[in-house]
Amino acid sequence: MDLLRLGLLGGVLGLDSTAVGQFMVSRPLVAGWLAGWVAGVPEFGVTIGAVLEVFLLVSFPTGGARFPEGSTAAVVAVGVAAPYESPDVVAGAVAIGLVWGQFGGWTVTLQRNVNGWLVPRANVAEQGVLARAHAVAVLIDFARGMIVTAAGIWLGRFALGFVGRAWRTDGSISSGVLFVGAAVSLGIMLHDLGGFRRRRILFVAGLALGIVGARFL
Amino acid sequence: MPVVLYRVDERLIHGQVVVGWGHELRPDRYIVVDDDIAESSWEQELYALGAPEAEVLFTSIAQARERLRMWDTEPVRSVVLTRTVAAMYGLLDGQGGHFDVNLGGLHAGSDRIPVLDYLHLTARDREDLNVLAGQGVTISGRSLPDAPKVPLDTILSS
Amino acid sequence: MLLRSLVIQGVWNYRTMLGAGFAFALLPTLKRVFGDDPVALGQAIERHSEHFNAHPSLAPIALGAIARLETDGADSDTVRRFRTAVCGPLGGLGDTLVWATWLPLVAVCALVLYWFGAPGGGVALTFVVVYNLGHLGLRAWGLRLGLDSGRDVGARLTAADLGGVARRLQGPLALGLGVLCGVILASPEGLAAIGPVWVGFGSLAFLVGLVGGHRAWRPAAVLTVVVIAWFGLWGRFS
Repeated sequence: MDLLRLGLLGGVLGLDSTAVGQFMVSRPLVAGWLAGWVAGVPEFGVTIGAVLEVFLLVSFPTGGARFPEGSTAAVVAVGVAAPYESPDVVAGAVAIGLVWGQFGGWTVTLQRNVNGWLVPRANVAEQGVLARAHAVAVLIDFARGMIVTAAGIWLGRFALGFVGRAWRTDGSISSGVLFVGAAVSLGIMLHDLGGFRRRRILFVAGLALGIVGARFL
Repeated sequence: MPVVLYRVDERLIHGQVVVGWGHELRPDRYIVVDDDIAESSWEQELYALGAPEAEVLFTSIAQARERLRMWDTEPVRSVVLTRTVAAMYGLLDGQGGHFDVNLGGLHAGSDRIPVLDYLHLTARDREDLNVLAGQGVTISGRSLPDAPKVPLDTILSS
Repeated sequence: MLLRSLVIQGVWNYRTMLGAGFAFALLPTLKRVFGDDPVALGQAIERHSEHFNAHPSLAPIALGAIARLETDGADSDTVRRFRTAVCGPLGGLGDTLVWATWLPLVAVCALVLYWFGAPGGGVALTFVVVYNLGHLGLRAWGLRLGLDSGRDVGARLTAADLGGVARRLQGPLALGLGVLCGVILASPEGLAAIGPVWVGFGSLAFLVGLVGGHRAWRPAAVLTVVVIAWFGLWGRFS
């Protein structure tokens, strides 16, 4: 039953990524919380969503982007990890989310090719053609998001059941692996902002604030 | 420095040009060669917004033909853009053969035949490109620097 | 038109990109202007269904300006040239202001709040509300700017200096990014608490991203997934 509910959520959030609104409820942080809420583990959902948000901080929903689909990655990761609700499975769930999010990204490309057929080359001026094309495209995109998400959770639970419980390290090592992977995205962001030389004063000031804040708050 | 890119792209100054080619070639100046835009202040304002970090110059084809040699010797890196094959033909016809023209983006239209994803040519475009190639101008299709370069022969035979 | 602009990417495709969505958003205006002339209405819909690409949050600027042009009776060549000319700046400015600055700035602040101990649900909701204050505000402002300016929207956009706004927000983003790095490094569950070797790995990974830029992202993600899978399989079969 939760597979259906999480699938429906994946469908709705998939629409937010491109087709409808772009209110950014599809960002991993929010999608993770919503998926956790649906699965009955909201705070655990945010934990996974926050890690994925750092990974995907430099992925923008632009037309030609080939990054993993953030909402699919987050809902699948939370859906896969929710039955365990343990820090030990976070790393496995995030990895499954990243892989399946990439698959979700490929289905978005496929959807865009389908959209090309939905927009007529002729007779576009006929009453209702544009509205019909929009309605059909949005419906297909919703179904795509729903099926991809539900399939990802089903397969992911199987994969995590196979290896996840055998994870030999404790939760802190999981966090280490994830933070190291995510640090690459943070470096890319500073690169995009003009590099260390250009932003060194503010970046180092922030780093000091972060370290002091984390120690004393 | 010479002109670092001659490009036919109907969108002229946009993301592919400013980010894609701009990060690769680091131009100081974009030169838009177009008779209509050279006389249209509102279009100039819009196109100039697309390249805030560089100088943007708008000129007619006739003026551009006079200044072409000068641009090649000035100490600034220039990208020359036209939005039609006809304008590039008007600029380079009879100028000699050391030019390398990039066909970057001509979208679908009722009289255009698709040859690449990003390139749709009219029969007249094909004739103009053939004439330029006959004068020794190197012509190829390539949307972005990391995309495959498609030679004119392949484009015209598709 | 503002509501319809929210589905301007509803039929995003590689041939016309936002073209069909653009015509769909403009449809009420076109019906009002050409309603009693079905041939002219059909031509206008076809004109606006052609290829169009811009950042979705700034597309209302083009929608407003073209609604004004069509209402004022501009000729089809002027409208088509405007549509083509406005794509570049609205794409570039939107990518810089929204995707590369506003969205990561709000996300980084939300992540910092979360790792400083704020409740997850509150952080997620705050992220959505703050992001959309900027996002929807920008759409509404853009539509009004386009409707007021018509063809001369370029001058108004130059005066608005959206690129300057982005540059001013990039300072706080760099600061927030530093704070986030500090938190990941020094929080009780952070890298320093796990062990000094992890601080070394994390710093090295950060440097790889800093030097390599976006090219580094995919190999890093693949490596992370492989390492996690290896740990899992090792645990299973050892």
